[in-house]
Amino acid sequence: MIHDTHMCLVIPPTLFHCVTGTWTWTAGVVAGSIAKHRANAADTTTITIPITVPSNASALKGAYLKSIEIDYDQVTHHSTSVTPLVHLVTRSADGTPPAPVAQAFTQDPDAAGSITADTHKLVLTITTPFWVANDEYVLVELIMVHPGDAATTDLLGAVANFTLRL
Amino acid sequence: MGYVHDTNMSQFIPPAALHYVGGTWSDALAITAAVIAKTRVAAAATTVINVPILIPQNSVALKGGKLASVEFDYEISTAAATSITATMNKITRGVDTAISVVANVPVTQDLVAATDAADIDTHRLKVTVTTPVWLDNDEYFLLVITAVCALTTVLDVMDAVANFTLRV
Repeated sequence: MIHDTHMCLVIPPTLFHCVTGTWTWTAGVVAGSIAKHRANAADTTTITIPITVPSNASALKGAYLKSIEIDYDQVTHHSTSVTPLVHLVTRSADGTPPAPVAQAFTQDPDAAGSITADTHKLVLTITTPFWVANDEYVLVELIMVHPGDAATTDLLGAVANFTLRL
Repeated sequence: MGYVHDTNMSQFIPPAALHYVGGTWSDALAITAAVIAKTRVAAAATTVINVPILIPQNSVALKGGKLASVEFDYEISTAAATSITATMNKITRGVDTAISVVANVPVTQDLVAATDAADIDTHRLKVTVTTPVWLDNDEYFLLVITAVCALTTVLDVMDAVANFTLRV
């Protein structure tokens, strides 16, 4: 049996889902890195990050999700707000829509610290970690409000931290 | 080191990992609040969605991932589609300068292509591999969804989930 409490999985920006805004693929701020780049505009963008950890049909097996780290740059200006949300989505039977349930978490940096013009590593620590069943998946939402004064954003990627038990 | 033989493994495959041919697609939050999808603008045309099956492989025989089934989650609204049909391809990568070899993999789908799978509803289509095989390091699977859409059919693709045995 495997029980590894230190598993990590990188989630590239190519898997991110971005609604509102003009997004393009660019090089990251650091040469050799990649980013999904949002052009400057005064708007509210919803970025959803699919957490692609393995799941399992057996109870207490698969991935036990503990935290998610989100890397992004706001090099030229700050955002008005950056609001993260964590959803555990239960897939339903044919004919029934999926059911997302918000999960409690703490964040570091806090709301004020996550909007500054800087390179950010936003850590979301799940208050009550959970095993992901085969009928479930996790989506992390970042709602970014931009003032439109040169506030571009570069999404660099995310990392999920979890226990793997097989 | 341990030995793992887990027959209940699953892997979530998000909509951005899928490959869409035909139609105009965009990211949307259309189904249920907080749930993501790729939405296809309504048009009377056939769209092909290729789902890369992101499970582990192994260069040793009888190890790695053995694909049992794939579930494809989507929604049809405004008007029913003509049909939603699933097939599966196994791609064997060639050596340098050689093209890949594509082989059809027999599968069955639990929803009838022209009726249950194509009506206005939220769908969970299960595609079962008739004879599961271990995936070699030179191979990968593509689930192929062919959607024949009517003039006003709106198609939202939410995700896919691969169910497999893992042996490492």
